This record gives sequence, structure tokens and C-alpha cells, in this order.
Amino acid sequence: MNPTLNALFDEPEKRYLDTDELNLLSHYVGSLPERITVYRQLRNDELTIMQAVADALQMQFAQASEDLLKRTLQNGMLALRYAAMALLMDDPAFVTKRLQTWLPEMVAAYGTRPMDEALHQLLEQQLTRRLTGEQWALLSPGIAAAKALLDPAAQTDTVEAPLAGVL
Amino acid sequence: MISVADLLVDDRLPSNYFASDVYVRGTLELGLLENRRGDRLLALPHVFLKAIYQGLDHETGQATRLVLRNCGLWWGKNFYARFCEELSDYYKKPVADFAMAEFLQAMQECWRTHGWGAIQLETDHHAQGFLVVTIQNSPFIAAAEASTEPAGALEAGILQAFFSQLTGRELTCVQTDCESLGADRNRFILGLESRLKSVPSLVQEGQSHDTILQMLTR
Repeated sequence: MNPTLNALFDEPEKRYLDTDELNLLSHYVGSLPERITVYRQLRNDELTIMQAVADALQMQFAQASEDLLKRTLQNGMLALRYAAMALLMDDPAFVTKRLQTWLPEMVAAYGTRPMDEALHQLLEQQLTRRLTGEQWALLSPGIAAAKALLDPAAQTDTVEAPLAGVL
Repeated sequence: MISVADLLVDDRLPSNYFASDVYVRGTLELGLLENRRGDRLLALPHVFLKAIYQGLDHETGQATRLVLRNCGLWWGKNFYARFCEELSDYYKKPVADFAMAEFLQAMQECWRTHGWGAIQLETDHHAQGFLVVTIQNSPFIAAAEASTEPAGALEAGILQAFFSQLTGRELTCVQTDCESLGADRNRFILGLESRLKSVPSLVQEGQSHDTILQMLTR
């Protein structure tokens, strides 16, 4: 859950929550029905959305190897699943926390960054077409967090190109 | 055309298995800390590690490094087997089918999540037959007795056993830089024993890691 909300529950022995804190909680709870609606829609439409993205991506990168395209699509599906969870929890940092030591390194190791970036563009097109402006505003921080991990600067350390045959 | 439904493995997208917030869990009311497969984990107090080192030093003196290295070899061999088992269970494919980059990333993440420090592999010299591994913030070296020599005998053993099994060659591992001696990180060189024979004496002479590597690859 959003760390600010999470922190509200930390110290019941210390004091009661004040008005601002309760308003924060009410605001989150008030946004939950809409979050759940969007989540449900993403869950039900995942394959349709991603298949549309996959078809467009394959046209755009007709020369690319199928293995790399599949890898990019898996990265994209993963981004969408994590963003969907972040939407439920109102916590885009969740995406960063879970993926930052993994995704940037895989993207660098396989050199799929241009395809991953193109995928994000296609994915956003699909999502903005299907969601209302308000719904997209709830989901987009998580998607943006996943996209930010494609930037080479997000890489925490390096796994060099495949070591096959080393030594 | 690619079918995205086929990209799922049992409806899942395997990703960051060792992510710390999902990997470490437990049945805390029973006093059990566990990993996500239910294998028991243990938090070792720093003082306990120090006590082991002091005890070893007291009882075995000069042989301490040898004992630690052997512990490391034993640990590394078992760690490799368990690590491969966990990975192939999670990804539903044998370790032989992993891309090396994926395998090594998982190893780095595993190391970090267990609190053994930040491990990195440098493959710049792999064409010449050497692999350099660096570890920052090693808890084992932080607990070692003060010495004028590198203190990562345990890790040298683990790395030697791990990479020997990974590459299918009998490798040896020598530590060339140590946090206990003021270096920014611990550096280890792995390679065939015959080619690393001269390294321990160079380390004793106080030659730097870079100089040693230059001499090896000249």
C-alpha cells in the first residue's frame, strides 16, 4: 500500500489519527471502487490489449528476432500487471521496488530497449483508448514507473553480455 | 504471429524471484523465518560471526583461513545446487536453458536479498580466462579479525565452488582486494589454478588488484 497510508497504521499505541490523516484514508477508500473497476477491466482484457500491442509491435519491428520480441512483450505484460497492482494499492513505487534490480538489467543484457520503448507507446495508446481520463490518471503512475526503468540510468549494476563459454 | 497467451508460463510471467519483500517471509509466531519455498532462513548476529572467527583463530591460529575456505567450498557447492533447484522450480525450466545474463542477475539478487552484500561480475577478462567478482558490504569480512592479509577466505571458497560448477572447470579463487584493508570493495579473481599460482604471493607483497590483473593478462 501507499507508504503514507501504510504509515498511518504504524503506531496505534501512540495516538489517535488526526483529521487530515483520516481524510487521507477516506480519500483512498473513496477511490477504491474505481480502482477495482479498472483493475477488473485490465484483468479481463489483458490478452486482448497485449495481443493488439504484439501485432503492432511485430509490424513495427518486422526484422527483429521473434525471441527478442517475445521478451519485450513479456516485459510489457509484466509492467501492466505490476502497474495494475500498484493501481489497487495506490503505490507506483511498488513497481520500482519490485522491478528495479531486474528489469533494467534484462533490458540491457538483451538490448531490447528500443522495442521496449515502442511497446510502451503502443500500450499507452491501447490503454488511453479503453480507459476514461480519470481511470488513466489512476493507472498511469505505475506504467510510468515501469517505463522509467528502461532508462539506462535506472540500472543498479551490470550483468555483462552472456558469459556462455567463459573460462 | 506471436500469440501473447503462449508467453505465460502456467498463467505467470516469471520475473524477479529473489525480490526481497516476497522472498523473505516466515511463520514468525513459531519463530520461523523462511524463504518463499518454505526453506528455513536464519538471521546471524554480527557478534556471533565475530565469535566464530575469534574461536577459530584461538583454536587453530594459522589454519583459520584454510578452515574458512573449506567451509566456503562446502557451502558454495550446496548453495549452487539449491540455487539451481529454486530457479528451475520457479521458471519451470532446467538451468541449462537459462541465458547466462538471467542466471547471473538472479545470483546477484539472491546474494543481496540474503544480506551477503552487493556482488558483481566483471567479464572484461573472460577471453583471457579470468573472471573478476567484486563484493561490497560483505558481512563476513566485516566480522573478520584484523590482519594484514585479505579476510575473505569464506567467500573465496563459496565463489570457487559456485563458479567451478557453473563452468564445469576446476577453478580456483584468489582475493586481491579487501574491505578490511581499506579497499572500496572486495575483489576476487577466478581462473584455472595453474594460471593463478603466482597471485597469492603478489597479494602478500601488497600489489594492487589492477597490477595483478595486468600481469596475468599481459
